[in-house]
Amino acid sequence: MPKRKGLVRLQLSAALAIWAAASWGSPAAQAEETLNICHGGHPIMVASQKILDKWAKKESVKLTTTLIAYDVYVPKVTQMLTTGSAQCDIIWHNDDWGQLWQQYLVTTDDVAGIRNVAKQPLDAFWNDQHELTVIPMAHTVGTFFYRKDLISDAEVPKTFADMVQIGQKLQKEGKVKWGYVGGMSFNNTWFTLWWTMWNSGCDIFKPIYERDNKVLAANGWTSIIDQPCHQQIVDFWWDALHKDRIAPEATTTYGRNEANAIFMAGDAAMTVADSTFWGDYNDKNKSRAAGNIGMVPYPIGPGRSKPITWLDIWGWAIPKSVSPAHQALAKKLLGEMLTDEDGQVQMWNETGGPPPNVRVWDRLTASDPVFRKLKEVVFDQDHAHSAYYFANWPRVHKAYSDAAIKALTGKREDIPAVLKEGAKAVHDAAVAQ
Amino acid sequence: MLLLIAPAGIVLVLFQIVPIVFGANASFRDWQLFNPAQTWVGLKHYLYILGDSTFLTIVLPNTFLLTFLSVTLSLIGGLALAHYLHRNFAGQWLMQTIILLPQMIAPVIGAMMMRWVFNDQFGVVAAFLDWVGFGPISWLAQRWPSFFIVILTDVWIWTPWFALILLAGLRSLPREPFEAAQIDAAGAWRTFTHLTLPMLRPVIAVCVLIRSIDAFRTFDVVWILTGGGPARSTEVFSIYTYVETFVNLDFGRGSAAAIIGALIILVVAGAMYKVAGRVADVAR
Repeated sequence: MPKRKGLVRLQLSAALAIWAAASWGSPAAQAEETLNICHGGHPIMVASQKILDKWAKKESVKLTTTLIAYDVYVPKVTQMLTTGSAQCDIIWHNDDWGQLWQQYLVTTDDVAGIRNVAKQPLDAFWNDQHELTVIPMAHTVGTFFYRKDLISDAEVPKTFADMVQIGQKLQKEGKVKWGYVGGMSFNNTWFTLWWTMWNSGCDIFKPIYERDNKVLAANGWTSIIDQPCHQQIVDFWWDALHKDRIAPEATTTYGRNEANAIFMAGDAAMTVADSTFWGDYNDKNKSRAAGNIGMVPYPIGPGRSKPITWLDIWGWAIPKSVSPAHQALAKKLLGEMLTDEDGQVQMWNETGGPPPNVRVWDRLTASDPVFRKLKEVVFDQDHAHSAYYFANWPRVHKAYSDAAIKALTGKREDIPAVLKEGAKAVHDAAVAQ
Repeated sequence: MLLLIAPAGIVLVLFQIVPIVFGANASFRDWQLFNPAQTWVGLKHYLYILGDSTFLTIVLPNTFLLTFLSVTLSLIGGLALAHYLHRNFAGQWLMQTIILLPQMIAPVIGAMMMRWVFNDQFGVVAAFLDWVGFGPISWLAQRWPSFFIVILTDVWIWTPWFALILLAGLRSLPREPFEAAQIDAAGAWRTFTHLTLPMLRPVIAVCVLIRSIDAFRTFDVVWILTGGGPARSTEVFSIYTYVETFVNLDFGRGSAAAIIGALIILVVAGAMYKVAGRVADVAR
């Protein structure tokens, strides 16, 4: 009898041990793993996270999200990275601050699918050892949007002068309050000043369109914002705000929220924004202009004969401060996102975010007229980078923004003097130690 | 006794003293995100800031102007509201709650509301001005209109705080002097200037002292409404510090700016403390 009792106990123990061993590797046990994604809450990021979530469920990983407002995103994440916090396993990454964080991020050359992404937009994300520190999430391409119901194909502006003329015409006819609207306040400079700057053959430092720091340094980080090509741009915007009045005087204070609110309320005929807003502009629940949005190559200024646009990426990155197990898991999920072609097509359909995997571009070009149009107006044009890739870039951007807005809110005759002072401030910001 | 104050002492040391020491240490070093060496540079950052024309001619004047106007206007408004509430009337408790509402809203949210209220396209103020025939005004595109909105928002948020404390002060005043004034047929204004105000002086002095220190370091309202712009024209001390630290990512210079601000407010608050002490003595 005791022998039998012992046998029963042995069997029970064995069964328990097998159950324990089996459940150790089972999804229920692995579900304990949680990865936290920190991002800015943009629809593209949400859509990309949806792809990640799909694969996370298959891997029995729980994804959580921490939203950080755009205005404080860089300071907050910088603080997190420099203090070695493991609060975020995956963070939103952007070319503007690509170089700032390179030393705090895990390299990503070994992530699945990384060979199938466009190469030029990666320029901002190499570390000192020439290893990649980003996994692309979507392309961010500055796009010129207009109202198809108000501007016919023949009237689509080809030059800055056309833009003023068609804008004023629509305003006089009472069809819109404003011809053009776009963000201009600090960190929104692209949507007014900078796209016109690049499309007028100008830039912030000489040589124009150069992003090799060695070349820029060899040229003494000389700012050309006081040169004629740039003064023309500031003159153009001063007139647009105060004389031609095709854009609100308060444009200098607008971020993308204000500009989008005006465009989506149907109060403006033209705007420039990232192509990723295509979805919002065409969302009938949000936009009065839905269904009437067209896109064309940028109008050009006196200094160029063909349009030029920026083609960069938004991406995900993994902080070094995260545990090796979480780093590996994050890489696996991001690789699955990058190779999930159907997921990326869905992201494009939902948001207008061009897929990070260029193999998907061919598929969409063949099947989707909107993507074909975007390819024509953006991907097939000349490209500039939308930022400079060095540590002092945020300081330079702020100095530039302050100078340009001071010029635009002052008297027209003071513009040259303000820009001269601004060129010195921009140079000093670039070489600040 | 030491054991009793130990928890508070530990919290004070960990969350007040240690960060100040760290900050002070950083202010003497070259400490940027890309320069982790943290080289000792002595007073370099202090000299830079004290020689920075923007800091001297825009940031400091803006900071003192904001502090002075915000505190003065909030005090006047708070005093008026406290007087209004220091009477028995139907719905007094309801009115008291409504008046306190701005104080219950986080300043960030209050500032965002104000930003949209004064938005030149969609704001209610713009709509009203348009309706009366003035057309929209680009409030935030120029220095003084922007600064006016910053002050207005700060006053709107902080007036209830003054009202609440001054109301408590009013309710604690002895009745006899007021009854005597009534017997002597003193008018309401005379009673207010010769009795109420002198007797409230200690409370007012403490309120002004606390609020001035707080107003000097106002950040959220200015950052949300103007970001210090247009072109740095509404920048105050806290925005200057923030931009140096978290936009330019220069932790050394940002820390030096913070220490300079702390020293300025220390001197100002010390002087105000002395004045407040004298005012309280006179009131006694």
